[in-house]
Amino acid sequence: MVFTSHVFLFYYLPLVLLIYYLLPRGRNAFLTAASYVFYGWWEPWFVLLMLASTILDFVCGGIIGNPASSPARRKSALLAAICGDLGLLAFFKYYTFTAENLNRLAGVFGMNALPALEVVLPIGISFYTFESLSYTIDVYRGTAKPARTFSDISCFVSLFPHLVAGPIVRYNVLAEQIARRDHTWEKFSYGVALFMAGFAKKILLANPMGAVADEIFGAASPRALEAWFGVTAYAFQIYFDFSGYSDMAIGLGRMFGFLIPINFASPYRSESITEFWRRWHISLSTWLRDYLYIPLGGNRRGSRRTYLNLALVMLLGGLWHGANWTFVAWGAYHGALLAFERWMGKTSAYWFLPLWGRRGVTFLLVLFSWVLFRAPDFAHAQRFFASLFGLGGDPNAGLLAGLVYSPYTLAVFALSAWFAFQKTEIYEWLDELTWPKAAVLAPAFAAAVAVMWTQAFNPFLYYQF
Amino acid sequence: MKSGWRQAQIGIFLAAIAVPPLVQTGIEVASGRTPQVLSLLRIRPSEANLRAFERELEEASWLAGPVRRAVQDAWWRGFGYAGDQVAAGRDGWLFYRQDVRYLVEPAGGDPPRDAWRAILDFRDQLAARGIALLVCPAPSKASIYPERLTRHAPRKVVSPTLDTLRRLREAGVETMDWFRLFQDARQRRSGEPHYLRLDTHWTAETARLAAEATGRRVLELGWLPGGMVDYHLRPVHVSRSGDLARMLGWEHPAVGLGRETVACHQVVRSDTGERYQDDPASPVLVLGDSFLQVFQADEPLAAGWIAQLARVLRRPVTSLVRNGGGATLVRQELSRRPALLTGKRVVIWEFAERDLRFGMEGWQRVTLPPAGPLPSAPIP
Repeated sequence: MVFTSHVFLFYYLPLVLLIYYLLPRGRNAFLTAASYVFYGWWEPWFVLLMLASTILDFVCGGIIGNPASSPARRKSALLAAICGDLGLLAFFKYYTFTAENLNRLAGVFGMNALPALEVVLPIGISFYTFESLSYTIDVYRGTAKPARTFSDISCFVSLFPHLVAGPIVRYNVLAEQIARRDHTWEKFSYGVALFMAGFAKKILLANPMGAVADEIFGAASPRALEAWFGVTAYAFQIYFDFSGYSDMAIGLGRMFGFLIPINFASPYRSESITEFWRRWHISLSTWLRDYLYIPLGGNRRGSRRTYLNLALVMLLGGLWHGANWTFVAWGAYHGALLAFERWMGKTSAYWFLPLWGRRGVTFLLVLFSWVLFRAPDFAHAQRFFASLFGLGGDPNAGLLAGLVYSPYTLAVFALSAWFAFQKTEIYEWLDELTWPKAAVLAPAFAAAVAVMWTQAFNPFLYYQF
Repeated sequence: MKSGWRQAQIGIFLAAIAVPPLVQTGIEVASGRTPQVLSLLRIRPSEANLRAFERELEEASWLAGPVRRAVQDAWWRGFGYAGDQVAAGRDGWLFYRQDVRYLVEPAGGDPPRDAWRAILDFRDQLAARGIALLVCPAPSKASIYPERLTRHAPRKVVSPTLDTLRRLREAGVETMDWFRLFQDARQRRSGEPHYLRLDTHWTAETARLAAEATGRRVLELGWLPGGMVDYHLRPVHVSRSGDLARMLGWEHPAVGLGRETVACHQVVRSDTGERYQDDPASPVLVLGDSFLQVFQADEPLAAGWIAQLARVLRRPVTSLVRNGGGATLVRQELSRRPALLTGKRVVIWEFAERDLRFGMEGWQRVTLPPAGPLPSAPIP
């Protein structure tokens, strides 16, 4: 189910809130059941996969957390959980990609390495796999206690606000809250405000910018002006889409008493790529840091190894986003920039520029990376880069202007630019909820609901990851 | 914000999300219907069924429809924005976005591979029956009037269809180049445009122009002699609501944009005075899409491309037309009704150029039922 849909907003949410608050006990079990409905709404059989993964983690976590388990047994259970979770992810997300590439390679020798299968990617699998992994690893490390009941861990994994597109929540963050959390007017009120703000971001900013980006990235070879307009629109789309989703997730979490960590901190105001990754998709970058970068040795094994670790982590981070070489290239690009900035002493190569210059160059570097992220293949990315530098060669490209420029798209673009470079994220702005703020938020939400009815099915970008 | 105010804020939000479905259920119960939402209990939970349920729930909403129209109206009036399917051009012209995408998106093969195979395959199947094929892609409005979309448009659009036509000709397929025809006509005539301002289709006069050129070509090729039926033209004017305007829900006259008056020439039999009518026994079969439908099957009737073609050939034709289905649907229909091919010598196949990439149902190969003996009887 999509948060920004008629069925979610007017049926699922009120019904789930009503039953949840009427129940004197068993609220976690109800939330779990409701979350399974939420997830299964996309494709009912997906829930079986999530259930299997959860059972595996519950069993392995129990073995790992059992004081009577020998170290070898604990290690085996950890390995089983990691292999099981990653195995599911590898099959459903990377099988086709792997088969295509291996078969291409084997084809050189006249062979076929793997059979071609049509594997459907279950939405959100990357998110809940990482969350499940954090559970068993945390229990193994002793930073979290094993789940008391299956209901606890299934509630953690399936909790619908953060299920399909994050933020990636770790078990030790939610474990206490699953056991006991308070429900206050203040929490609920903040949750409502944040949900409304995230909803408005997605519908009023992200979707129109997405439509512009789709037109321009879909073109054979846009003119330079449209190419820049398109990649910037995509930068706004992905930011407002994903941060809007995160706001809604955090807001919904608050409505049910949960405190879900933030995911964005004004990333487009970053002065370097290192800072960008401290502000963008925070839950992923901290997950990669804690469960991949540090176990690889982090920065403790010399500078060369540090650069290698950074590059490797970003490469895998890129691959996490999708089974495509463009994502790998996107990760490699960011990894290279991070390694370079580490070599520079955790600063950018353009540190000497004034503040606006540093921000501008960082945004530009991020824009280039979005070309790789958005393009379906390298050939397309190459054409798009050529267009950015005025080397597009399509004689019909001028027609694109008729599709993408209108007072409406230009107004949304200007509004997006204003919001994207604000110092304060919406969740901070709403910390102190006042009537003037509510007076801004309510019409924005009402407008977003009205516009939602004019838009076709509009899932979030990060559902596909 | 004080606690009481917070409660009020929460109350307003909950009312906003709970009242619409409650009112919806009330309306449905009051009108003796089972609440739409309960249909969920009757469907098999599959992705397709759940998406359909969502769509129907939203479509049935007492609130969603009126609000949607109000938003679209506000978009247009306030921002000149015409929505997901339609692009607002200059001087009040509307364009179908897919028509423009066809011109700016990368070609899927050169020419699009599926289309190429399907056309050659169809040509060969017809040839085995002794039937000649003439392929006629209809240019989109954006191909002929790019400057009406945007001032950034090139002076002359290079449609990828031209390359497809060239390659089809090289493969021995007879084709009509209506692009050059319309562009030449534009240069000669500076008056009425060749396409409707608020519609994806051509004007009646342009349909006539295309039909006359096509008819002359068929006769020049010697595929069949001219017939013996005389037709004459009767000038009429129709007030027409454009399909693009209809997509936006602008039929209401208050909007002042939804209709345009079009000069047409109805084709009338000189001997009986009756309006043109198809003849299933004709040696000519016309296949096509809505380009053949406008002014022919809708107002004023018998003033579209088909009737004008018949006038030039001096014989009625047989026609099979499927709106939006010029690529595959019309051939599928033909394979289900093979009797339409009986006695045919010529098939003229029209489709919108955008269908080369976006054809409904793609470009499937359609196998026609086995042919009977080749036609040997003289053409009447």
